[in-house]
Amino acid sequence: MQEKVVVTGLGIISAIGLSTDETVKSLLSGTSGVGKITFLDTVHTAIPCAEVQMSDDELRKALSIAPEEIITRTSLLGIVAVREAIRYATIAPDTKLRIGFISGTTVGGMEKSEEYYTDFISNDNHREYIDAHDCGACTEKIADYFKCFGYVSTISTACSSAANAIILAAELIKNNILDVVVAGGTECLTKFHLNGFNTLMILDSRPCRPFDDTRAGLNLGEGAAYLVLESESVAKQRNAEVLCSISGYGNACDAYHQTASSPEGKGAVLSITKALKMAALKPDQIDYINAHGTGTGNNDISEAQAMLTVFGDSLPPFSSTKPFTGHTTSAAGGIEAVISILAMKYGFLPQNLNFATPMHDLPIVPLTRLKENEVLNHVLSNSFGFGGNNSTLIFSHK
Amino acid sequence: MSVYITGIGKISVQSSTASDGFQEPHYYEARYARCVDPVFSDYINPMEARRMSTIIKRAIISTQLALTQAGVEMPGAVITGTGLGCIEDTEKFLSSMILDNEKFLKPTYFIHSTHNTISSQIAIRLKCNGYNNTFVHRGISFELALQDAMLLLKQKKISTALVGGHDEMTPAYFGLLDRIGYWKKEAVRSSSLYNSTTSGSLAGEGSISFVLSEEKTPSAFACITDVSTFYNGNGEKDPSAYIEAFLASNGLKTTDIDLVMTGVNGDVNDNMIYSRVTEKIFNKNTIGWYKHLSLEYFTSPAFGLWASAECLRTGNVPEFLKLRGPDNSKLKHILLYNHFKNRNHSMVLLSSC
Repeated sequence: MQEKVVVTGLGIISAIGLSTDETVKSLLSGTSGVGKITFLDTVHTAIPCAEVQMSDDELRKALSIAPEEIITRTSLLGIVAVREAIRYATIAPDTKLRIGFISGTTVGGMEKSEEYYTDFISNDNHREYIDAHDCGACTEKIADYFKCFGYVSTISTACSSAANAIILAAELIKNNILDVVVAGGTECLTKFHLNGFNTLMILDSRPCRPFDDTRAGLNLGEGAAYLVLESESVAKQRNAEVLCSISGYGNACDAYHQTASSPEGKGAVLSITKALKMAALKPDQIDYINAHGTGTGNNDISEAQAMLTVFGDSLPPFSSTKPFTGHTTSAAGGIEAVISILAMKYGFLPQNLNFATPMHDLPIVPLTRLKENEVLNHVLSNSFGFGGNNSTLIFSHK
Repeated sequence: MSVYITGIGKISVQSSTASDGFQEPHYYEARYARCVDPVFSDYINPMEARRMSTIIKRAIISTQLALTQAGVEMPGAVITGTGLGCIEDTEKFLSSMILDNEKFLKPTYFIHSTHNTISSQIAIRLKCNGYNNTFVHRGISFELALQDAMLLLKQKKISTALVGGHDEMTPAYFGLLDRIGYWKKEAVRSSSLYNSTTSGSLAGEGSISFVLSEEKTPSAFACITDVSTFYNGNGEKDPSAYIEAFLASNGLKTTDIDLVMTGVNGDVNDNMIYSRVTEKIFNKNTIGWYKHLSLEYFTSPAFGLWASAECLRTGNVPEFLKLRGPDNSKLKHILLYNHFKNRNHSMVLLSSC
């Protein structure tokens, strides 16, 4: 029988805070990180985004990384979150455990590539950043900061990347390939993504309103979040505090369209069903769903349909926390896993900010107010990506 | 438990897409070569193909070839390894964004720019709702995809998997990597890459798909027993120790390996790592190579896996794949060993079946 995989550490950085403590504070006070763009150099200044409130220079300084070191914002954000996760789990830097690092990202080092691309093509001025462009390079920059990782991997399934990183981490532990894995995702805001989503006309010019009838798109965000996962026995040996276990997960493909979800949410139904089956849970045992809930017309109706298909009359309280953090794309699965686990730990249900009017075709109502003093035994988090890459994670109390 | 390779589709800088049977190698005397593409319209409706980038067309065709050979219509999982993803469309979107200062952009190139477009497009075409994943980690992208598939198959979560290694080397990206020393500054005949005394390799590309199956079928090439990678970020690890431990965990010694298929790529620094390993622990074994045929790109080990599997299927190692060592009367175990800049190392253990 395969061993239980537990979570012993969390690390997060996003527009609503630079740590788990700050994140909890913002979630409890209802403070959104969506606002005016201040750090990204773009012509689209009127589009609201959720930026991490630190410049690259400030991030470097906070991490004691020299100004001349070749590193991109995606990696800087990742380092902040991994550092917190490792400290949280009290992993010693010289650990003899087989420790791996799995990171989800899509833009990788694009933030510097878009700044220097003209140089890349025509001269050697910024050539040192060429090798920082690809996703794997970003992961290794983070890994090298900590020097403890003997296994590295990078997953890119668009907006479910971090969730798939967490799934793989659990698989590698269950199959006794690694003892401890730090898994999640990181993504910084780029002109590439901002313009890309803008051409798709799915960026709301106002703060996003997931599951609301008037929703008009998403707000892009940025950030990073990682979990420390290990087998229950390793956690016991190290006397690590166990936050929860990862009891179920599912990965399925909608196989419908490159950028649109199927109307019935086929892939989502499959990923949620697989996760429930693995966790041996009935739908009514889930206490909270952190929905993917981007705020686009297509995602929310498709996800709502999928949730109704699986949960029917016993649809648990659910919310999208993207009005807080923005849609952090490849990092979203990590950020929302951390938020789900924090909700379980502190016994609260995060609200779905900005919701007012139920969707005409499917009038399901998310959590419109924060709920405190709740006991959460099982929480479920959905992450769906372009290309129909749907993944679901279930975390259970101990 | 072993997993069987039951179908392979390959598009490479070699002229044939056939995966069964070694053809006369095609050698290049250039710094960079593109794939010898099949006639796309033989496989994909031109109306559909018009909207697809080169890498998507290649991936779809190599997938189709592999599935047909394996006699599998619907794989249980679609898993892709790609170092750069859909770089052609990424470059198109990026350059027009910069050129036109973030104006007049069209969504098409953005939609197809993400790395997971390959796995998604394959799944959409096959209507495959199964497990779907994409690994994008430099020189081990393909091996990570392979490892993921092995985990699923060994746990019997699926019975077949489609695993691909896909990368295209656009002229622009060739130029970028050229600026930072990835490629040789001079044209070298690919057949003599091994003796090269300069740094850098020759640039290539490829799209190679495999069907893995829990069951042995008549089309089976070989078994994959195990896949492992390790990270050597500080360059201080001794790969030999890791290889020996990997073999030991599979009940084998170095002397059990009939062919060590190395990733020797003609870069004098990369070659040195292979030399150290083979001299230290494989000094009596037959040593092989394949990158003089595939040329170098992030997922080139996929070509090495095909070459190794075909050696096992035919029970023969052709001379052009041998670097040195004895002629083996038996061919049972092959170790496919690759490293990327001595930072990422991968080992794949194959056996005849």
